[in-house]
Amino acid sequence: MTGRYASMCAVLAGAVLPAALALAEPLGLPPVPVPAANPMTPEKIALGSRLFNDKRFSSTGQVSCATCHDPDKAFTDSPRSTSEGINKLTGTRNAPTIVNAAYFAHQFWDGRSPDLEDQSQHPFMNPVEMGLPDHEPILKIVRSDPEYAVSFRHVFGVGPDAITMRHVQLAIATFERTIVAGDSPFDKYYFGGDKSAMSDEAVRGFQVFLGDGRCVSCHTIEQDHALFTDNRFHNIGVGINRIQDKVPEIAPRFIEAKTKGIDVDKAVLSDPSTSELGRFAITEGLDELGAFKTPTLRNVAVTAPFMHDGSLKSLRDVIVHYNNGGVTNKGEHVNDFLSGGIRPLNLTEDQISDLVAFMEALTSPQFSKPPLTAGKFGPPASNVKSQAPDATASRMIASAGGTP
Amino acid sequence: MKKAIIGSGLAALAGLSLSLGPAPARADEFTKQDVERWTAQFMQVVAQGRALWTDGKLGTNGVACAQCHPNAANTHPETYPKFQKQIGRVITLPEMINWCLRNPLEGQPLGLDDPKMTAMVAYVTYERRGVKLAPGQH
Amino acid sequence: MNKSYSRRRLLQTAGSMAAVSVLPLTWVELAFAKSEQNFTFAYISDSHIQHIKGSQFVNNWDRGLIRSVAETNLISPQPDFVMFGGDLAQLGTRAELDHGAEMLSRLHGKQRYVMGEHDYYLDLGEYWSKLFGPQYYSFNHKGVHFIVLNSVLTTDEWTYKRWPTAEQRMLEMAGLDNPNGSPFMVGEKQRAWLADDLTGISKDTPIVVFSHSPLQKIYKGWNFWTDDAEQVQALLQPFSKVNVIYGHVHQIQYNQIGNISFNSVMATAWPWPYPQGYAQAQSMLPKLTIPMNRADPFFERDATGWQLVDVNTGRVDLNYNLYSNRSRTVAFDPKLGHPADKQFQGEAVLAPNQVHY
Repeated sequence: MTGRYASMCAVLAGAVLPAALALAEPLGLPPVPVPAANPMTPEKIALGSRLFNDKRFSSTGQVSCATCHDPDKAFTDSPRSTSEGINKLTGTRNAPTIVNAAYFAHQFWDGRSPDLEDQSQHPFMNPVEMGLPDHEPILKIVRSDPEYAVSFRHVFGVGPDAITMRHVQLAIATFERTIVAGDSPFDKYYFGGDKSAMSDEAVRGFQVFLGDGRCVSCHTIEQDHALFTDNRFHNIGVGINRIQDKVPEIAPRFIEAKTKGIDVDKAVLSDPSTSELGRFAITEGLDELGAFKTPTLRNVAVTAPFMHDGSLKSLRDVIVHYNNGGVTNKGEHVNDFLSGGIRPLNLTEDQISDLVAFMEALTSPQFSKPPLTAGKFGPPASNVKSQAPDATASRMIASAGGTP
Repeated sequence: MKKAIIGSGLAALAGLSLSLGPAPARADEFTKQDVERWTAQFMQVVAQGRALWTDGKLGTNGVACAQCHPNAANTHPETYPKFQKQIGRVITLPEMINWCLRNPLEGQPLGLDDPKMTAMVAYVTYERRGVKLAPGQH
Repeated sequence: MNKSYSRRRLLQTAGSMAAVSVLPLTWVELAFAKSEQNFTFAYISDSHIQHIKGSQFVNNWDRGLIRSVAETNLISPQPDFVMFGGDLAQLGTRAELDHGAEMLSRLHGKQRYVMGEHDYYLDLGEYWSKLFGPQYYSFNHKGVHFIVLNSVLTTDEWTYKRWPTAEQRMLEMAGLDNPNGSPFMVGEKQRAWLADDLTGISKDTPIVVFSHSPLQKIYKGWNFWTDDAEQVQALLQPFSKVNVIYGHVHQIQYNQIGNISFNSVMATAWPWPYPQGYAQAQSMLPKLTIPMNRADPFFERDATGWQLVDVNTGRVDLNYNLYSNRSRTVAFDPKLGHPADKQFQGEAVLAPNQVHY
């Protein structure tokens, strides 16, 4: 009896200790997938946070990841349609939220990065984002800054000269894996059993979401969690509609340029027509012409404007676009490459407003209040301060599982 | 002594009922004729289901279930209830039939106890008779 | 010359990570010995344009045809010609044939047509012939002899005497699983024409036969069947390289019988179950066939698509462009002597969503 009890304790301790370092997932979400090659530790998270906020990693010293993924704006730059990088240069795409990005199977609107680690390296070198010629300026800073030196040695066991861009990417990705949020009114209602957690409109809107709205097939909900994304790419008639007449010209031209070796990351952010090719620019699959990744709908109400080009201003505009069967204004020509999941919905006005109410019920408590004071999810954006690792870790666990 | 009296009493009763007509059925007794009659009624409902399956009038666009599901193939009634990703949760077969009525047939769902629904379920399962149950199988 | 062909292979394997259809937009020439015998053509089939009322047609099937036309037009260099494989209409009405013809007219290349039963049984092909020409014919192209058959005929009794109205006749044939249907055949007249057409063609001339019905006997209950298949095959067997391409089945099938390779094409409208999915009947799906992926019915284009057919040294390779699904290439394998899937070889490597039951 004693022996069994003792070994049970050992098993529990073995489970609880790593769990304290791992995050208890919020209500409505599954465990965050963490790659074996990049385990999470409080020190790595803190280092990643510092890198995320470091404006020195841009050619003008003014732009960090947090510039377009601002913790106070649910990690976007709402209400911008397309983001502004160095020297106020704009690209073609809307900054997606980092919140729950850890659950995506691909990163970027066109999925050109397979994971958070890979994604983090690209904006630094994009001419309309941070504008660096290569990663050397970053490495120079992290190798010479004494605080970074201490962190990198602690986290990766390497001296300053052995720090590589890979280390930087691993740390940033780890920080981003802590930016998860569930526990919305919908989660409390559907998974938490609290039937009063959503308004009547939102409850009706939920039924529209599952039924006449045809939303749930791509914005997935499952029996015990909801990611609100199928991790696939679909042409829903946003953006592509503008260039549809020119597709026979643009598509082959792009493929030719690609075979000659152009940088896809730069091309899609600098040329609006190329940008609308979507996933096709990455895979060259005809099936994915004009297709973009299904984003999560969690916290959608606080991340306006919507779609990959930020072209739809309100949630209502979004639903009207779907209701029209893949065109923003009724009567416009439906593009030939439209996903088979999109077609006119014939929703009533009431169904549309109920659906909006439902989407508003997907906001997590951390983001449903007025902008939080800086520092909630990391150091203030304005300067780089070191954080005590334990404090960061315990704050994360508290906010992940309980009330902010 | 008591037994004998009861026994003879029962015998008397039996004798009485023999002269009045057939013995009343008890519990779940049924005759071969009952089975034939009920099976015929069931097959009538199956036939109604088949008619609904093929007539293209359940939706608003004229599409019939049989266009994609000849002989109700690929409906897999033996796998329900199961998780259905188009609906986001574990459902039963009639709920999936309603999904088809609303989506490819662009129509309205039926009540789960609507005789038309019952007829279609009868038809679908009849065409799949003999296949082992596999609830939850995707 | 080799470079672009190997790039195409690269695109196909890279794209197969996710469920995408990958087709090369540019390639130069295929590196084979007799290059004048290598060319491509496109195959679009089974659109089933279905009239509701007035100017309303079933949106789902319209979108399938629209997409296949738009994508065929994107291929560069353009295929030599485009075949339409039959069943343009659902009930053979003028409205449906006109609406379908209008969508097909947007194709850039030369088009040729194969008759399907849904086009035929309302007026026995009268309006079809006005729009598209003869119901059976042959032509030569780059050293290959092409034959188009109307293989959806049936007995005179069923065609002329059985039904009170033409509409009724069409409705009865339109139901795939209708027990009142009647088996397809090429028929005596056409077989005689075929025999005649083949005389004078040398035995090593590659032959490609376009037919709506399979020219095999696969499953009679759904008319995956040609009643005089053996006789037609007998006429074709003497030739060393024969390829039959057929529609009607709305799924990937392939087979080899003697010298004849058989390849089905996809529908642009909707996929059909494999016949072994019908538990109450036996069927004879060719053993060689590795089935296409199961479709998610929410995505109305899933498991629909069109084909780009390569003709290499007299054999056909079919590149199936399937939306929301997994593209497939079924190519003639000279070592094996029959068509084989380029990616999936044998049961062991089937993905879970290729298991049909």
